[in-house]
Amino acid sequence: MGKTKNGKEFAVHTTWKNSFKRDWQLYLMLLFPIVMVVLFNYASYPGMRMIFMDYKPAKGYAGSKWVGMETIIKVFKDADFHRSLKSSIVFNLLDLAVGFPMPIILALMLNELRYPKFKKVTQTILYLPHFLSWVIIGSVAYTMFRPSTGLVNIFLMNAGLIEEGIPFLTEKWHWAVTYLLIGVWQGMGWGTIIYLAAITGISGDLYEAAMIDGANRWQRMLHITLPGIKSTIVTLLIMNLGRVMGSNFERLDQFGNSQVKDFQYQLAIYIYEKGLQGNKFSMSTAVGLFQSVVGLALVLLSDWFAKRLGEEGLL
Amino acid sequence: MNKKAFKRMTALALTGVMAMGTLTGCGGSGDDASTSADNTTAPADNSSASSTDNSASASTDEAKTETPAADDSGVAGIEGWEAFAENVTLKIPVYDRGAEGVPNVSDNYWTKWIQENFGDKYNITVEFVPITRTDVLTSYSLLAAAEDLPTILMEYDYPKQAQWAADGYLTTYDIDEFAKVAPTYYQRMVDLDQLGYTEMNGDRYFVLAERPYYDTGYTYVTFYRKDWLDQIGYDAYPETWAEQKEMYQKLIDEGLSEHPLGGHMVTGAGVDQNYAFRTYPLDEENWACYGDYAIPALGDAANKEFIRRENEKYQLGFLNPEYYVTDLETEKASFVSGQIFQFAGYISADVDFLTALYEQEPNAEVAVQFQAEIDDPDGGTVSAYRADNPFGMMIGFSSQATEDEIKAAWMYMEWMTQEENLFTMQWGIEGENYNMGDDGLPVPVADYSGDCKQGFNNSKDYWCVTIEARNAGTIEEIIEASSPKNLPVDLTQQLIDNYYRKVKLAENGRAVSDCNFAVVLDSVGEYQASLLELYTEYRDQLTMCAPEEFDALYDELAQKYADAGFQEIVEERKEAYEAGQSTKLQ
Repeated sequence: MGKTKNGKEFAVHTTWKNSFKRDWQLYLMLLFPIVMVVLFNYASYPGMRMIFMDYKPAKGYAGSKWVGMETIIKVFKDADFHRSLKSSIVFNLLDLAVGFPMPIILALMLNELRYPKFKKVTQTILYLPHFLSWVIIGSVAYTMFRPSTGLVNIFLMNAGLIEEGIPFLTEKWHWAVTYLLIGVWQGMGWGTIIYLAAITGISGDLYEAAMIDGANRWQRMLHITLPGIKSTIVTLLIMNLGRVMGSNFERLDQFGNSQVKDFQYQLAIYIYEKGLQGNKFSMSTAVGLFQSVVGLALVLLSDWFAKRLGEEGLL
Repeated sequence: MNKKAFKRMTALALTGVMAMGTLTGCGGSGDDASTSADNTTAPADNSSASSTDNSASASTDEAKTETPAADDSGVAGIEGWEAFAENVTLKIPVYDRGAEGVPNVSDNYWTKWIQENFGDKYNITVEFVPITRTDVLTSYSLLAAAEDLPTILMEYDYPKQAQWAADGYLTTYDIDEFAKVAPTYYQRMVDLDQLGYTEMNGDRYFVLAERPYYDTGYTYVTFYRKDWLDQIGYDAYPETWAEQKEMYQKLIDEGLSEHPLGGHMVTGAGVDQNYAFRTYPLDEENWACYGDYAIPALGDAANKEFIRRENEKYQLGFLNPEYYVTDLETEKASFVSGQIFQFAGYISADVDFLTALYEQEPNAEVAVQFQAEIDDPDGGTVSAYRADNPFGMMIGFSSQATEDEIKAAWMYMEWMTQEENLFTMQWGIEGENYNMGDDGLPVPVADYSGDCKQGFNNSKDYWCVTIEARNAGTIEEIIEASSPKNLPVDLTQQLIDNYYRKVKLAENGRAVSDCNFAVVLDSVGEYQASLLELYTEYRDQLTMCAPEEFDALYDELAQKYADAGFQEIVEERKEAYEAGQSTKLQ
């Protein structure tokens, strides 16, 4: 709505045609990402009909038998599915609990650094792990954390701090901790970027005013910076909740061994083992869809919840 | 545009895209169906033509009239072949083993050599399709889904081929037609009594390559540090478990090795072979139900005793306590660096870990561990081992291939079987890869690295379509040609002696081939992959548990293993065995 000089409201009529004529360059730019999304996120949708088929690659869609809900029922009755689902949820929640606050804390700390060169170097070092593949991280982790020939254990034993090597990656409870912490280490630096960007958006006047009022660093952080990035935190939390059903195959596979299957056997491993190795594409597609549906439900739910709390939400 | 309207627009657009996608998908498959319905002369494309397994063979029969056949002259074999009127693309799978120092598997001197000497002659374009050796099933299923299966499907494992036949990957074929195009190949199958293995569920799917010396395999050998044995006063590797234990302990006490037997994580099929722990003569039903090495038989007595032995080795410190997080390459490296006593591998002119060991430690001396000749009742083992299948590669023909493509595949197999072609593929080019010795036998040039460098294991992944081993004269001469060269020690005689030990055992029925079934066992396809994963978890728990807990834990895990699908497999095998749908114990 617009307003006339005397304060009367009137409707602004912008037709599609006019706005397209005016901004056609922008629409053109938009075309590429849209095509990408359609191609990679939607074009595969028809393939999901294999959930209701006993899909055999050599027979294709036309030749494979329709089996209705049989595959879905089979998946939900499968003990391995239950085992992997449980581990996935528990570990993703733990990942969220441990991994989500870290970038925020780190961003607040980085923001307090005053010497620009030091800040930049620190940031770069923190970002680096994000660019390492899990294959490399996995093999480095095993070299570091083997029970008797791992560097860390050798160091601790030589220093006389322990008598027996700590089974960081070869006993399931130790594995869980190591796995989670390495995950945090890998992702926290990269995670700070969005928060740091949000922090730069906070007006310097607020800090100035607070300083005049005698607020110390800690108080400024707590009462200005944190509230300033609250909506970013909520948005990222909602997005992260959507991944509670997700599962990262590379990470799990690289950290796996026969002694930690209880915890390591998560949905990604289940899908790989049953679907690819066991040639059951219908089953793994069903699990994949299940993951997405639950993920979507969680996003919608947390969005609704955030709005109830008075936040802007995501949608 | 306000926010609400924008949202509505976006939702509408996305819904539209989804709907379009779905429609396109349906339309696509409809097109497929109509294409194959219309195109009666075309390929045996049973992926869309019909849902029955036999459709492939039906459409194959129809396709016979398409282009002038290669054997129109009526003369059987190569003499009667003519070039195809239209170029035919023949896709041959080749294992990509990820091995270092070998040429690109799908494009190298030898693939070009095949094209020039075979393909060009008959107007065939030979393409090589890399198949990941460690993930064969996935490689083929991805190719199948893309409707791009190679013309032939090759596998050593009978159950995998059976599964492919059941899942529509393969087409049936007419053996008389095959005999006309490839008479040498066919006759060899007859002579080796292999025809019984060509059928599955009563339909003929397979052609079989030759595996010479299948029950006396001499190529996979354990090498040990003889210089260490000399140091602790042994002149030979002991054969009973009690003596071996004493020896391993001495190696540890003398500080020669911390964990002499090393060890690595178990993965995949074929692990934990327990032939030495079985009771002979074998019970045929037990052999049929539990004897197959592709799925470890957790729950069977022989498997239990095998793992109990592993547990003992672990408790005594003979095994590397980190074996379950150690891969094969790392174990190999510890042999090369003198940390472990023994390591097993295939023999060839250049065995990398032996060459590297001698480079690292010139004073080392390796020897071949002989196949045990005597039973060891106190140790609970007998002198027995696994014999291979009485055939080499199993070859099936793609259900997506045309009649001409399949004919080209038969020609390729027949061509590769011809002595002069096979000889060149196996030994290479004279003056480059080998020199002719005075006795008229080829002598390989060790460390050859010129343009004609052969693929992994003397290019075996190419010539395995016809045979599994290089042939040149007597077995002694064959072993001599394959024994490791460029080492300070000549292992030929030891390898020959080891071979003759196996011959003796094979004559006494101690070389055991696994049972093969003439019907598809659905439970195998259903559970094999997850059982193999489960097995690694359970057998490691059993290897590392306290010895007094072993029996109880074994029973508990065996029950879980049975419930996870192994029981169903055993029952289905039993049913097939009782119905006479399996091979018999030799």
